[in-house]
Formats: sequence, C-alpha cells, structure tokens
Amino acid sequence: MNTFLAALFSGTSRGAIFALVALGLVIVWRGAGIVNFAQMGQAMFSTYIASTLITNGNSYWVGFFVALFAGAAMGALLDILVMRPLSNKKKTELLSSDSMRAAVPVIASLGILGALQALAGILWAAEERGFPAPAKQEGFTFGSNVMPFTAFDLFVISLVALTLVITTLFFKKTGIGLAMRATALNQEVAKLSGIRTNRTRTLSWAISGAASSLAGLLITPTSNLSPNTLDLVLIVGFTAAVVGGLDSPAGAVLGGFILGMVISFVTFYDTPEDVFLSILAVLLLVLLIRPRGILGSKDVRRV
Amino acid sequence: MSNLKAHSIARKSLIRTFLFTVVMLILGSRFDAYNQAQLALVLILFIGVLSVTILTGISGQLSLGQGALMAVGGYSTALMMINYKLSLWIAIPLSIISAGIAGLLLGVAAARLSGPYLAGTTLVIALAIPTLANRFMSVFKGDEGLPVDVGYPPAWFSNTFGEPSYEKWQIYVALPFAAIALFFASNILLSRSGRMWRAIRDNELAASLNGVNYSRQKIYVFIVSATFAGLSGALYGLRGLVGPSVYPVSLSLTLLTAAVLGGIRSISGAFIGTVIVVYLPDWIEKALGNFSLSEQVSNFLPALISSLLLILVVVINPAGVAGTRLHKHK
Repeated sequence: MNTFLAALFSGTSRGAIFALVALGLVIVWRGAGIVNFAQMGQAMFSTYIASTLITNGNSYWVGFFVALFAGAAMGALLDILVMRPLSNKKKTELLSSDSMRAAVPVIASLGILGALQALAGILWAAEERGFPAPAKQEGFTFGSNVMPFTAFDLFVISLVALTLVITTLFFKKTGIGLAMRATALNQEVAKLSGIRTNRTRTLSWAISGAASSLAGLLITPTSNLSPNTLDLVLIVGFTAAVVGGLDSPAGAVLGGFILGMVISFVTFYDTPEDVFLSILAVLLLVLLIRPRGILGSKDVRRV
Repeated sequence: MSNLKAHSIARKSLIRTFLFTVVMLILGSRFDAYNQAQLALVLILFIGVLSVTILTGISGQLSLGQGALMAVGGYSTALMMINYKLSLWIAIPLSIISAGIAGLLLGVAAARLSGPYLAGTTLVIALAIPTLANRFMSVFKGDEGLPVDVGYPPAWFSNTFGEPSYEKWQIYVALPFAAIALFFASNILLSRSGRMWRAIRDNELAASLNGVNYSRQKIYVFIVSATFAGLSGALYGLRGLVGPSVYPVSLSLTLLTAAVLGGIRSISGAFIGTVIVVYLPDWIEKALGNFSLSEQVSNFLPALISSLLLILVVVINPAGVAGTRLHKHK
C-alpha cells in the first residue's frame, strides 16, 4: 500500500512536469506545424542561466524569472532566425516534396539542439551540477510516518496547474489567443482575415519556450543539470504529446500524467532500467491503435 | 530493352566502385598511421551515412534510429565472434541479415508513420534499444560491453602482401564492405526501386496512383537502409568495443549531420559529409592551434561547429554541398 501511494504521488508530480513539456511541443506543433526537438535543449540552456545567477548570489526567484524570460526570448529568436527563413524557402527542389517539408524542420531543430548542448558544454562544463529547489525535498511527516510527498512536489503541481489555467485562459479569452487558434486551424484563412501569421507563429515559439523552461526549472532539482540530462525528458514529453494527441493541449496534459504514472509505477514495481522500454511500448501501442492520440482531432497528417 | 538498361546501370556502378577502391587504396598507402585509422573510420561511417541517404534523401523517411540498427549489427557480429569463434568475414554478413530483420520490424511500424511522428518514434527506439544491454546482462554484458577487434590478417595475406600495420588492416577490412555498399547504393539509386522510392518521397498519393504499393515499398526501403546501418555498425564495433556507449543517440545524429552537410540526395554527398564529420575536429585543432584553448572548449567545439553548419546548410541550401549543382538545374 505504501509503495502504491509513493508511486501515485511521484507519478503525479512527474506527470505534471511531463504535461508541461508536452504542452510546449503541442503549442509549437499547432502554431507552426513543427515538432521542436530542440525544446528541452532550450530549457537546459535557460536552466543553466538560472543556475549561474543563483550561484552568483542572486535569489532563487531572480534566476527563476530570468530563465522563463530567456526561454521565451530563445524560442522567438529560433523561429525568427531559423524556422521562418526555412518556411519561406518552400520553392527549392529539396523542399518541394511533402515528406521533406516535414523532415527538414526536424533536422534544423536537431541542429539547434546540438548547438545549444555544445555551447552549454563550452560555457558551463560537462559535469553534472545540482539545481536548487525553492521548497523542502523531504517528505511531509504525518505522526511518525514520512509521507512520500514533499513540499517541492506540492510546489511543482500547483505551479503547473497555474500555468495550465493561464494558458487555457490566454487561448480561450484573449484576442491574441484567438488569432493563434485561427492560425493553427488554417493559416491561409487566418492570413486573409488580417492576422499576422508570422507574429503568431513566433509567439507560439516564445510561449512554448517559457513553458519548457519552467519544466526545466522544475525537473532539475531531482535530476541534476548537465547539457544532456533533459534529452530523456524530451523523449517522454514527445511520447506524452503523441499519446494525448499532438494537436490537443488538453491531450498533452492527459498524456503527461499517463506517462508520469507509467514511469513511476515501472520504477517502483519493476526496475528503472525498463523505463525506456515501457515508454516505447506505450508509444507503439498508441500509434498502432489510435495514431491521432486520445484527444487528437482526426486529421493527424498535417501536410 | 530493360535488360540492356540494367546492364548499363550495373556497369556505371561498377566503374564508380572500382575508381573509389583504387583511390582509397592509394590514400591508405600514403597516409600515416593516424590518418589511416581516420580513413578506416570514414569508410565505416560512409556506409552508415549511405543508409541515411537511401532512407531520408531518396525515400523521404526521416529516421533518428539508425544508431540502434548499427548496434544490432555490432552486437550480432560481436556475439558470433565471441561465442561461436566465427571469423569476421562470416560474422559480418550474418549480422547484416539480423540488422535487415530489425529493419523489417522497424519498417512495419514505420510504414504507418510520417514526418515528425516517425522521427520521434525512431528517436525513442534509439534510446530504448541500448538499454536492452543492461536488461539482458548475461548475454550483452551491460555497460561493460563486448570487446572485439579486427584482429590480425590471415597468414596467406601477410605472406603475399607483407605484414600490414593494425591501422592498415582496419582499412583492408572496411574497404571491401564499403565498396560493396557503394556498388549496391549506386545501383539502387539508378534502378526501378530507386525511382519508386523517390516517387513515394515526392508524393505518396501520386505514387500509389501510378501503381506503387507505398506501404510495401516503405518497408523495403527500411530493410535496405537497415542492412547498410547494420554493416556500418558491425565494422564500427570492430574498432575495439561493442557496448551501449559505442552506439549512443548522438551517433544517429552524426550520421544525419554528415548526410545533410554533404547533400542528402547523392552518394558523393554522403562521402563528402562523412569526411567533413570525421575530420572536423582535426581541422579545428589545426586552425586554432595557436590559441591555447581549454579542454572544455576544445571538447565541445567540433560539435558546436558541426551543429551550426547543419543549421546553416539547412537554412541556406537544403541540398547540401554536393547538391548545389542539382539544385541549380531545377
């Protein structure tokens, strides 16, 4: 029973972070039709910025907000410098086919990932370092029992919940959010109704960058920080997004929690070594049974 | 008529392969030991880059799991050489078959996927496969891996050609396989299969209207690409060790980088890209030799520059170095 509770709590807390990562992927996919494999590279980079600020004597919260801002700025910059020029090059021979139009942005995002990781290695060394948590990482005590739930877990879950509420309100209630949804639905029509689709695309990159930086800040206190630590988080986030439906924000959140539970229960009841195989199994299962994901819309193939 | 065509294609590929082999042999005999080892590495990775050229450049399927297929080839070879004492000349062809079977499985799953779905799924596969080494510890020996190498040449070889150095022997082992891979790749590209795969890449619907069974052809292209990757992985492991650390995810990305830098649609592009990727650290060291860079910087500089080159090539000219001519003709 105790193991079950521990797995459940740990799954909730991890799931919240994976939901955030998946949400970041979904926002860029909807806004730009690209799966951004560099996303957690960006998060790693901004977490290093926060880490540097904090070790130089600034408070946790200075590092925290600077990292969020850096994540957003980096996302916008990558869109303007790399992805936008790429999407304007549709007339070249290599990009003339559907399949390569889908493949080339992925290759570009992998290049960005490699560049960010190498740059982080040059700037901050390759050794792992810790990253502070703003709340206690010891379990709550209940009488003489130590509960498998920490103040930091509570912090993570409430912060992720807050982020989800804010993004939902942003997309549903604001004019810019409406413009972004229109662009996701049909870029041509959105353009014709006067929406500056280039700007909404850049904005989705920025929002996704901030969300994934938050994920980076929340996961590194338990996993340590190195140029490569967040690669695995990206894999999990991608799987979560596919499980929930790559074009559905609600699906991303659902997928995140499903993956959090799967990983947590495999870790507690089996061995951590089987985590990747179980992720692969979940991914293949969903792709074979329901390729559009649990909450995804019918039109999976976005050309 | 079609026979005649097949004949001329084969002749073209044969001439190409022959020239390639001669040039490599000459280079191998001129180089010092270090560059001989580098040349062997170029030959080995060239085969792996060809697997990306065929899969992504020709048929438009982006896979990030080529490293996992290389691991299949490497582990098969190592297990056969260690457990059954087979010579590498038997073990490698057999491990190509096992990589082909892995490619079949991957292809069956991949035939339903496209674009980023395929890229992401193969990335998960590339991460999950090496963990099998720890899951089945008794067979694969976990992180420690299986030590194998190319060994020494047989007596008749040394008697006829003289005793080659270890590095030179590495070239002699890799070159026949690289030549065969080149021959097959250049044949496939010019053949009916190559045309069908290009048709799938350009437009699946149009291809199927013209009688191409595209899900079956996708599986075929995965099998063919997997045999190339498996061969490359087998030779790559014979450089000393077969283990999870030898076939990391970054290996898949290195192959992709090489293919894109050189020109993802052409065989000569694959070779140029491989040379760039293998020699880039040396060139950087030579160029920056006067600045005393800390180890931290020099360790990561090649990766930084090759990644930036990758982004630049993709943004400026997605056809790559060897693709410029092709690009202008359009």
